[in-house]
Amino acid sequence: MFAQLVDGIFWDIALWVFALGVLWRILSIFRVRNKPDYSVPRGSGLVGAIGANLRRFMPRAEMVSRTRLHVVAGYLFHLGLFALLLFAAPHVLFIEEQTGLGWTPMPYWAFIVAAQLAFIGLLLLWIHRVMHPVTRLISDADDHIAAILTFVVMLTGCMALIEEFDGLRVLHRFMVELWLVYFPFSRLMHAFMFIPSRAFTGAWFGRRGVKA
Amino acid sequence: MSHRAQSGAAHRRIIVWSLLSLLALTLLLPLIPYAVAYVAPVAGGVPNPGSDLWRAVREGEAGTTQVQGVDSGILINASGETWRHFRMQQLIPLGALFMGSVLALIVLFFLVRGPLRIQGGPTGKKIQRFNVFERTTHWFTVSIFWLLALTGLILLYGRFVLIPVLGPAGFGLTASACKEAHNLFGPMFLVAILMLFVTFVKDNFYARGDMMWLLKGGGMIGGGHVSAGRFNAGEKIWFWIAVLGGLVLSVSGLILDFAVFGQGREVMAISHVLHGIAALIVITVSFGHIYLGTAGVEGTLGSMTNGYVDEAWAKSHHDRWYAEVKAAGSAEHETAPVDDGSPARDGVMDTRG
Repeated sequence: MFAQLVDGIFWDIALWVFALGVLWRILSIFRVRNKPDYSVPRGSGLVGAIGANLRRFMPRAEMVSRTRLHVVAGYLFHLGLFALLLFAAPHVLFIEEQTGLGWTPMPYWAFIVAAQLAFIGLLLLWIHRVMHPVTRLISDADDHIAAILTFVVMLTGCMALIEEFDGLRVLHRFMVELWLVYFPFSRLMHAFMFIPSRAFTGAWFGRRGVKA
Repeated sequence: MSHRAQSGAAHRRIIVWSLLSLLALTLLLPLIPYAVAYVAPVAGGVPNPGSDLWRAVREGEAGTTQVQGVDSGILINASGETWRHFRMQQLIPLGALFMGSVLALIVLFFLVRGPLRIQGGPTGKKIQRFNVFERTTHWFTVSIFWLLALTGLILLYGRFVLIPVLGPAGFGLTASACKEAHNLFGPMFLVAILMLFVTFVKDNFYARGDMMWLLKGGGMIGGGHVSAGRFNAGEKIWFWIAVLGGLVLSVSGLILDFAVFGQGREVMAISHVLHGIAALIVITVSFGHIYLGTAGVEGTLGSMTNGYVDEAWAKSHHDRWYAEVKAAGSAEHETAPVDDGSPARDGVMDTRG
């Protein structure tokens, strides 16, 4: 019964909430307009936007020693998660079933490496957030729930890997549905907003001739 | 009867009796050795023509087979029963007894001795003991260790503890999930142990005073102050148990997890035995570490949560380290300095109201 709900109506609801929620959040952010800038432009906003996006992939030289763990763990987690989400064989098959689009999945050994890196990155990032006095103070429930929910989704996925028990697959899918519903109303929206956010800052300062 | 008819009948009688004799000999001749052995048994009993073959099989002699693979020429893994007997009759019950006894001793010690209080009470002035990176490394190792410990204990003891609760089908699902999680997190534990080693090793070598600390029981028995550096002898022993035990766990675990490098069944069985014994030892000793870091010694937990300890705690438990910190000459601050994750600075925070 529960498995039918998870594979059926829960999945549909989660997808709709995710899609409409993300769209609503993006539109509501872009609808907020700034006051017009009448100053003479000293540089190109477009160049500033693109430049900020590319430059922000690495920390500034002065900050490297302070942010080393954060940068390394961040890349481990995000790249590992990206690989798992799009190239793990069960996910590729699932996407093919749902959309008709398929591609070559990564080999098993690559899946294991990607999963290890993703877990290491996520654990280090969350523990560092709790241990660092500054990030501990400025973190709220949203930050912790997002991290824990993502961890649980990944963990249940790995528990269901050998596909021996349908109950484990259902549990993983249910966790994914909770994650999809939570996504648009949380800081997980940074997945869609980091590019526009960097672009806005880069364009704002680029127009003034400042490399942001 | 004519002469011709008489000779024909005799001829037929000869043929029939010959055939019957041949049949009798065919059936009876193979029984002669058994009859002889029955009448006059020889030492070792009746030789079984198949006994040489089965002796070779039982001794694990490799034969020839068309199947390609490690150990495929071994018909029966004779040591497998030894391994199974060890696991079921010794590792599991003795491991439970070991863990249970240590837990009971810790509880008893706490009830009798109570927590070790800070001498003279806390002063309210804090001193930094562990920086962000050290604490992150510690809790990273802890989280992976406990996930592995929990899933590993379910794999070892689950059938006795969880089947009555979950039933066979429920336990099958749980065990499958635990096995996958255990296999996945195993390699991460090696990363964590190496991080732990690199971070803390420099303060965990033997130093003068460690033997005296051990002889005095660290002040736990009988009370009184015992001199120690940044880490006392007990902490150093735990560090090396964790690192060396962790390495044994990691290497044996990797052998078990990735059985695609030509490991035979005997290597896997030995690895499993080492893995189980090392796991039970490290888990059990960690009970003591957890006790001392939480309820057992007042003021200790803060060192690993916010990184700071009371100056009185530092003076009474790690006096030589405290003296080094003070001698380094950092000025007292009214508020805690921002900890940017760089190696421990001599920060002092005054939390007096």
